Amino acid sequence: MTDDNYDDEEIILSELDDEELVLQMHDDLYDGLREEVVEGTEILLARNWNAEKVLNEALVAGMTIVGIDFRDGILFVPEVLLAANAMKGGMAILKPLLVESGIEPIGKMVIGTVKGDIHDIGKNLVGMMMEGAGFEVVDIGINNSVEDYLAALEEHNPDILGMSALLTTTMPYMKVVIDELVRLNIRDDYVVLVGGAPLNEEFGQAVGADGYCRDAAQAAQMAPLLLHNRRASRA
Amino acid sequence: MSARLNKRSGGREARRVSRQTNIEQIIPFIERKIPYYEFLDEAGLELIERNADAVLEQIGVDFKEFPQALDLFSAAGADVQGDRVRFPPGMCRSIIQNSAPAEYVQHARNPERNVIIGGNRTVLAPAYGSPFVRDLDGVRRYATLNDFQDLVKLTYMSPGLHHSGGTVCEPVDVPVNKRHFDMVYSHIKLSDKPFMGSVTSAERAQDTVDMVELVFGKEFIQTHTVLTSLINVNSPLTFDATMLGAATVYASNNQATIISPFILAGAMSPVTVAGTVTQILAEALAGMAFIQLVRPGAPVIFGTFAAAVSMQSGAPTFGTPEPSKIMYLTASLARRLGVPFRSGGSLCGSKIADAQAAYESANTLQTGALCGVNFMLHTAGWLEGGLTVGFEKFIMDVDQANMLQVLLQGVDLSETGQALDALHEVGPGSHFLGASHTQANFETAFYRSTIADNNSFEQWQQEGGKDAGVRANAICRKMLDSYVAPPLEAAVDEALVDLMVKRKAQSEDRSY
Repeated sequence: MTDDNYDDEEIILSELDDEELVLQMHDDLYDGLREEVVEGTEILLARNWNAEKVLNEALVAGMTIVGIDFRDGILFVPEVLLAANAMKGGMAILKPLLVESGIEPIGKMVIGTVKGDIHDIGKNLVGMMMEGAGFEVVDIGINNSVEDYLAALEEHNPDILGMSALLTTTMPYMKVVIDELVRLNIRDDYVVLVGGAPLNEEFGQAVGADGYCRDAAQAAQMAPLLLHNRRASRA
Repeated sequence: MSARLNKRSGGREARRVSRQTNIEQIIPFIERKIPYYEFLDEAGLELIERNADAVLEQIGVDFKEFPQALDLFSAAGADVQGDRVRFPPGMCRSIIQNSAPAEYVQHARNPERNVIIGGNRTVLAPAYGSPFVRDLDGVRRYATLNDFQDLVKLTYMSPGLHHSGGTVCEPVDVPVNKRHFDMVYSHIKLSDKPFMGSVTSAERAQDTVDMVELVFGKEFIQTHTVLTSLINVNSPLTFDATMLGAATVYASNNQATIISPFILAGAMSPVTVAGTVTQILAEALAGMAFIQLVRPGAPVIFGTFAAAVSMQSGAPTFGTPEPSKIMYLTASLARRLGVPFRSGGSLCGSKIADAQAAYESANTLQTGALCGVNFMLHTAGWLEGGLTVGFEKFIMDVDQANMLQVLLQGVDLSETGQALDALHEVGPGSHFLGASHTQANFETAFYRSTIADNNSFEQWQQEGGKDAGVRANAICRKMLDSYVAPPLEAAVDEALVDLMVKRKAQSEDRSY
């Protein structure tokens, strides 16, 4: 964690100008320093930055860099988890302000593992990457029946429904869920993403999903694109 | 030296026929004659055993949504709070050692194929669980029942594989709630080697038991083991209702289970070898104790599936040193406990049967042999971290499986093996190729690979310059073309088909 070549003489965040502070926040996000990111967030807000600007320029931009280096194999999974955790620290402060000013979040996702399946590591990584990309994620856990999914959709009103399965014998249940959405005429209200080891692109299409994500990083890339396309087509 | 060295043996015709097979002696399982490689000393193993007991006592194990397990453990003296069971030190070990057999016979419908699992034996079984296949046309696609049947046939025809396995691939084209019938039936009909039962629900386990009763007889299976089935732990430290339900059905019917921690180290266990092995031991002790409490004496195997994880991506990795270390340690711990051990396989992360697949698989297979695996699942066909079964890979792995058999046989120190008369005959200079001793022994002297090409560059080039995958492909097609089913009593077959038709009709097709 410590780099002997880096001279961490007290960097006083409040002494940095806006531009330097944002860059330092990117670094602090990259290093997974939650307290420092929280501090930086508060300083920018105190300087009358609006919440959306802090979100986009400090936090999301910083996590984008994290995402790139993760994709390129420079940052490892535990480090990305720390960075996402740091971002959540900043988000916790920004969220009520964003809600107050009516700012639409980038997106909201409900995600859960399907009925009969209690595996969740992949799902947890997706949730983490999605939060890192600025999404609000509601994780409804494991072993979810159709009723569980519907209840969550009703309660949280997300943009995206994410379903995960590890077992070949539980993945077909995704079709049961999607068929029910169709039957209830609410299929088009959501972007449905699916993932998990036994899935593939063909399967995603066969069950009627909008997208199959081969890994957490791809989910975080695909989600904003699909949402954007959907919003554009409804504009 | 003798008046007439050779007698007539049928000339060319007979020789061509006898050279078809490269396995001289088809044995039902391997009797190990070499020592075990003990990776860690006594003190190190004791430390891990103490730590596992501490984990069981202080942290405990969750048995989710399965009150029967909680009741059994509570009655046996464990501390039960909600789903969490904490065990007094030594409790699980003592329960296991009181009744779990050190070895058992798994009966096949052909008694010549019975296997002994445990002790100094090694039983090899094919890959298990893949949703995808990489077929002989090089296509990666979802597996079908047809693929399942082909893999059972190939396993049947491979002397180096002693056991038919279980979910040799997952037939995704058959409804989830009914495919187990076709799978179990295929093992019975297309092979006469011992096999595994369905574990995806207690009901399907019961269906499996009902089917084998038709083959072996109701009383027979209560006193003989005819099934060995795979029960995975939901590592870390969690057993789920599906696995416990299936395990209970098998154990209460005297059938064997493999309690298998399933670990991607770094994700489902700590990032160290010792930490991972400690967790594996704790999980296995709890699960095996459960089995003995359900039915004392029901055979149970200490299983381990452990891969490392790429810390860069979260993906499982294979053939690397750490999983080998884990295997060596858990094998020793299983021996100390006195139960059979399952692990190993031709594990690799490669998508195709290429160089990566070859060396990763070889690393794992060699470790499995040296450490003393008793029941080796995934011996043949494994690709892509277990997501895909490859037909060409299968053939390559069977070749290696045959070699493991020879390796484990040790060294022949008989008069023939010592070969002193050959040394006397030839002496300094000259060569041994024509010596009497060589003449008498050459055919079985060295293992002959089914697919390796050892010819000169020119010959290899002339014959098409084929790589191993191409050669394996041809062998596989040839095997499938030449398959002949072992005979199955018509009455048994009818009864099985009858049961399947009836039960399938009892419920609609479901995808869960």
